Amino acid sequence: MAFSKEAYRELEDIVGERHISNDPAFLDSYAFQWLAELVRPNFSHYMPRPVAVIMPACTEEVQRIIKLCNKYRVKAKPISTGWYHWAAPLKEDEETLQIDLRRMNRILEIDERNRYAVVEPYVICAQLQAEVMKLGLNINIIGAGASTSIVASACAYAGMGPSSFWMGNNSDNLLGMEWVTPEGEIIRTGSLGSGNGWFCGEGPGPSVRGICRGWVGSRGGLGVYTKCAIKLAHWPGPTEYQVKGTLPGYRLPIQENFRVYTLAAPTWDAWADIYYKIYDNEIGYIFHRQYALAGADLGPALWLTYIDPEKTLNDVEEAVKRKDIQDLTEELRISFQFIMAGRSIREIELQDKILDQILKETGGWKVQRYCEKDMAEFTNTYMQRLGHKHMNFVWVGGYLGSWMQTGTPDWVKGYVPVAIKGLYRDAAGGNLVQCGGDALMGNGSSIAGGGNMGLEQFVSYDPADNASVAAGTQHMRDAIVDAVANGFPPGKEAMYLQVGESDEQIWNALRRTPQPLAFHFQRKIKEAFDPNNVGDRMYATLPSEGKP
Amino acid sequence: MALEDYRADALRCTRCAYCKWIPFDLIKSWRFSKGCPSVEYNHFHSYSAGGRLVTALSLMDGRSTVTEAVKESVFKCQMCGNCDVTCKMCRYDMWPIEALHELRFRLVDQGHGLAQHQPVMKGFRSLSNMLNKPKSKRGDWAEGLDLKRLSKHKSKLLFHAGCQYSHDPDLREAVRNAAELLKKAGVDFAILGADESCCGGRAYHMGYKADYQAAAERNLKIWADAGVETVVTPCADCYHTFKRLYPESGSSVAVIHMVELIDRLLKQGKISFTKALPMRVTYHDPCYLGRQGEPYVAWKGKEKKIFGQAVVYDPPRPRYNGAKGVYQPPRDVLMAIPGLELVEMERNREAAWCCGAGGGVREAYPEYSMWTASERLEEAKSVGADALASACPWCEKNFADAATRNGTKIKIVDIIELVYQAL
Amino acid sequence: MDNKKEQLADIVGSRFVSDDPAVLDTYARDNSFVLPLKPWFVAQPGSVDEVQKLVAWANHSSTPLIPVSSGPPHFHGDTVPSAPGAVIVELSRMNRVLRIDRRNRMTWIEPGVTYGRLQPELVKEGLRLTTPLMPRPNKSVIASLLERQPTLIARYHYSFTEPLRSCGVVWGTGEMMYTGEAGSGPLSLEAQWSMGARHSDPKGPGATDYVRLLTGAQGSMGIVTWASVRCELIPAMRKLFFVPATTPESLIDFMHRLLRVRLGDEVILVNNTQLAYMLAHQADKVAALTKSLPPWLLIIGIGGRALFPEERVDEQQQDLVELAQTYGVRLASGIHGATTNEVYDLLLAPSREPYWKLSYKGACEQIFFLSTLDKSREFIDTVYHTARIHNYPESEIGVYIQPQHQGVAHHCEFNLPYDPRDFNEVSNIKQLFSKASEALVSGGAYFSRPYGIWADMMYSRDAQSTSALRKVKRIFDPNNVMNPGKLCF
Repeated sequence: MAFSKEAYRELEDIVGERHISNDPAFLDSYAFQWLAELVRPNFSHYMPRPVAVIMPACTEEVQRIIKLCNKYRVKAKPISTGWYHWAAPLKEDEETLQIDLRRMNRILEIDERNRYAVVEPYVICAQLQAEVMKLGLNINIIGAGASTSIVASACAYAGMGPSSFWMGNNSDNLLGMEWVTPEGEIIRTGSLGSGNGWFCGEGPGPSVRGICRGWVGSRGGLGVYTKCAIKLAHWPGPTEYQVKGTLPGYRLPIQENFRVYTLAAPTWDAWADIYYKIYDNEIGYIFHRQYALAGADLGPALWLTYIDPEKTLNDVEEAVKRKDIQDLTEELRISFQFIMAGRSIREIELQDKILDQILKETGGWKVQRYCEKDMAEFTNTYMQRLGHKHMNFVWVGGYLGSWMQTGTPDWVKGYVPVAIKGLYRDAAGGNLVQCGGDALMGNGSSIAGGGNMGLEQFVSYDPADNASVAAGTQHMRDAIVDAVANGFPPGKEAMYLQVGESDEQIWNALRRTPQPLAFHFQRKIKEAFDPNNVGDRMYATLPSEGKP
Repeated sequence: MALEDYRADALRCTRCAYCKWIPFDLIKSWRFSKGCPSVEYNHFHSYSAGGRLVTALSLMDGRSTVTEAVKESVFKCQMCGNCDVTCKMCRYDMWPIEALHELRFRLVDQGHGLAQHQPVMKGFRSLSNMLNKPKSKRGDWAEGLDLKRLSKHKSKLLFHAGCQYSHDPDLREAVRNAAELLKKAGVDFAILGADESCCGGRAYHMGYKADYQAAAERNLKIWADAGVETVVTPCADCYHTFKRLYPESGSSVAVIHMVELIDRLLKQGKISFTKALPMRVTYHDPCYLGRQGEPYVAWKGKEKKIFGQAVVYDPPRPRYNGAKGVYQPPRDVLMAIPGLELVEMERNREAAWCCGAGGGVREAYPEYSMWTASERLEEAKSVGADALASACPWCEKNFADAATRNGTKIKIVDIIELVYQAL
Repeated sequence: MDNKKEQLADIVGSRFVSDDPAVLDTYARDNSFVLPLKPWFVAQPGSVDEVQKLVAWANHSSTPLIPVSSGPPHFHGDTVPSAPGAVIVELSRMNRVLRIDRRNRMTWIEPGVTYGRLQPELVKEGLRLTTPLMPRPNKSVIASLLERQPTLIARYHYSFTEPLRSCGVVWGTGEMMYTGEAGSGPLSLEAQWSMGARHSDPKGPGATDYVRLLTGAQGSMGIVTWASVRCELIPAMRKLFFVPATTPESLIDFMHRLLRVRLGDEVILVNNTQLAYMLAHQADKVAALTKSLPPWLLIIGIGGRALFPEERVDEQQQDLVELAQTYGVRLASGIHGATTNEVYDLLLAPSREPYWKLSYKGACEQIFFLSTLDKSREFIDTVYHTARIHNYPESEIGVYIQPQHQGVAHHCEFNLPYDPRDFNEVSNIKQLFSKASEALVSGGAYFSRPYGIWADMMYSRDAQSTSALRKVKRIFDPNNVMNPGKLCF
């Protein structure tokens, strides 16, 4: 049974005509997605069009919609804030209903004493952070920034960010969640299912949530997460995020119990040593290599231009020629941002003392220019809220991530030179932004408490220039070859490319992974929870051999 | 520029959705975090700047056609410019509001202008105002004030009242107060009275560029003939039109908003306050005085690439990101009034929520327009304000209508009235 | 039967198969009230390969397998067969500490590695594991982690699986897989180590979350053959503080604050009875000790690790003092009946032998569940009230509240010692256990680890999750050979 007028009418009955559309231009606004041009035929910026887009207001409406998708055998693709090419329908021949969850946008509860908040899918990090800060609490904002959905990052992704080092990943912080399965059943996990409140996401017994996050997150491939509770962390800063200054370089004043530093190391070995010592000493609130995203060759010129509201990108061209900027560029080659917060003045002073000792022991240093008031306050703004994460796109509007893979700092430092060499090589032709081989950005930790992290090359290409798009795609392929040749698994680029590949190509790649069994289990999970194949292939599976 | 000139911008949109919010660093609550009235009310992505860029692309590429839904998504927007500010938080290469204007121009050129706008446009063409009021009545507001007429006297300073102040009896007092205040301060100025015509800005925002152009040329000629060097207006819409749009049409006339002039007169000691106004007031930044009220910078250039693929412009393109709007003068004026306590709403200055009246929305989508205004009134109430002051008659009218409709007790006042009362 | 024995012997070697009735009897029952049932055999595999063969054989022969890693005594019925003809897979031979990596603070262990065994190995590297409260020395570290036993330092408990990271697992299908970071490499630890992998990430393979299917499973999903576990630095300096109180609720706001600002390592709330059970080596000392102790006691440990440990401790102490003043609680460095050193020694080491919970009366019934801290008082009242109805003396109920998940959830534990030789006492405690559990469940206590009778109570409250869990079980153990009859399987 295909998607018909009757199906549309039934959906319309659920949400009302204001909240469903099949207008081609409207559908194009959902098909148009960042990264599509890298993987779609003829550099098209469009993923396949959904058959309709629908906006439910509550869990019950989501459930009814999913049941209709089962009835009409239409794929259901939920999005909350809706970003990346995999947020759209994936295949031309799969009729897909785009479920836009933006009307489910409430903060349902903030329990200050027990430190959790309950939210719907379209509550973004900036909103929840603003609300919980009033209570002296905070949330981990994921690397993709303040505009992202908490439900998505906690339930469907791992949810890591610059503050994960101290606050944990959103998947670690996930408590009870509500899940409309691809069959249209409503499952409430952990303590929530037993009617005991939101505070625990585990059990009873084994945790059902264990199947929800697939190989690359579920990404709309296994039903719809409609609510979740998230653990909150202490915020020893002001109850209002009161920035000063002129946009875009807003500045968050640095409280007496905070320190905002950019730290640098003479070598990647020393960088790893600094990391391990910070890890052992349990200092720091936010740990991130942020500014490198603009490229190690151009970064300082860009950032010092950016925080001056009088300047534009043109000014970077002149700035890079300045001696002071050139010196700073060298000083910042192997650097990262580090924010410490003390529960008391004496604690922050001790953290400072410890950090100084670590730098002394490792040969590291504080980068003076970036620790001056203007940059430090800007860094404070940037890192605490991540409201400028779209700077990823500052050069030209197209960025792709390559290499991102996680491991110990010692392991990560191993792929850094390969990644640097590869980007210099691939940008040499001029079809990628030539910002330096090291545009490696990443969280201080991919897991709560530290010890595991990853750096990702921020490769900028022009989406409006086919030659540049082609270079971007080629870079991703090159990065995979580089990785494998140097004993590393393919990184984020493989995930991006797979969106444009056929099922057979993907299966072949999955079969070549060291432990393909996981994909067979995912198939069985999908068969059990999605018998009508309503979710798309983002919940990656391998067919039982001989029976694709 | 033409719509096609924004094709690259559209292709470089990454659907990050910043255009739907106020700048994230300025968010202080869940309730008042949203920046785009259009997408908040209508929800589909097509009602955001990013979505409209895709619509533009889709139409240019022939992937879709202009349907009623498309028309609504294009025109059900106040063109408040929040998207243009937030987009530029992280991007140097995008001008979304300009692209949206071009999309409207394109639709109107192709005969897809909104039916709801036609009576207004008809009145604009025949009566030179946006309210379908008799042309002859335009100068009635100045009766008994004994103001110089530009038709009879040359003057370097023209006081331009604007359509809404001229024709709306509810707002007339403010503009009369303004004129009296100028006289009291010894400012030498003239008005056009019945000869004044619409600035054309609202026609421009509705997508009627040719009509706007005709109005601009007409006004500029009158000004030139009369030797006008500076125009002062109490209307934010007119201010924006004169300040930002007219220079494209060759204007070199200086433009100043009445509130800026009051601020100057106060600081020069030419007027001073003698009465206290013990009230708690919040100030609403009109979009066209605030984030879109930045000075015009002439630019004609083309894209060029540096560092391989980074996009810049030759010569450098001005960066209108809302930073240089008229924000402080109205605040300074209000704070100078004895007894008056100024409280800020969460969304202020470049992040101010729109009043709901702009972009032809008040004329075409009254429900949505009222909803937008009501949202702002809620925000004003949330800071405990007795009164909401603004510096734009369109904002005031919309807020007053919404307040009446909702039974909201908050007082809607023109900043000029407050000043006048305190003199 | 003999045929099965031979088949088992073929897999693990005849020395490691037992059907000695005395041996079988030790697995037929435990300290809980679950119905006794004798297994047919006890098999002791010595390698992953043997485990895998055992599971394959079990699938082929439809034989229930009960994985057991820890030594006796067992308490919750999870290792007592629920189905006839079961084979106990006794994993104590797989007891290697495979590796300790100081720089990355990771250790890799097999399931037979116990707390008693592991901690001294880690000490050599300056490391330790945060443990449950006084685990018995023969408690398997992996079993403890898989069962989500509460650990003492809540601030390190970022997630409920902490500090468990990667696992090697033979699922009920008989298939071997690595979970966590190790899932993204080849099926060889050595090969992965040589590539630089240190398995500190619990996500994986990829971003999958399979480890959560193993936790709380009571061995019903598969057998974990190794695990990587994150360690902590041993504090170079430590201090312990007491906050005595007459009621638990007077401490709750202070506890909330401590947990929120992550001040302190161990943050533990006990009543006097509980502390007396912990401290008293001899049963006849318990009553007097209980009386001498304050009714409720918050125990706060602070430690200084890595650089400037003394200053770390000083700084925390000063913050603690200020916070105590703010909350109007009295911070004591000692109390009548217990010194801080004594208590710290208890917290840092496994239990004395015999296991401390048994030393008072020879048996101890335990009721434990999760709650938020602010609700804990209600549950304490529920247990006391039920005890009164059953004439069980309130003064003998040990109460232990352990913050988990950085203080969002709290493990609430009630220890009710009884004399296992006294039929009336046994019968009474059995009823009390059942009634108190029912009252707690209906009052909102969350039995996240539903052993024995708790399983039905919990799963009957949530039909959808139960149905989902059963689907999951059918995927990972389609023939239901792994510890059948437990949970909702």
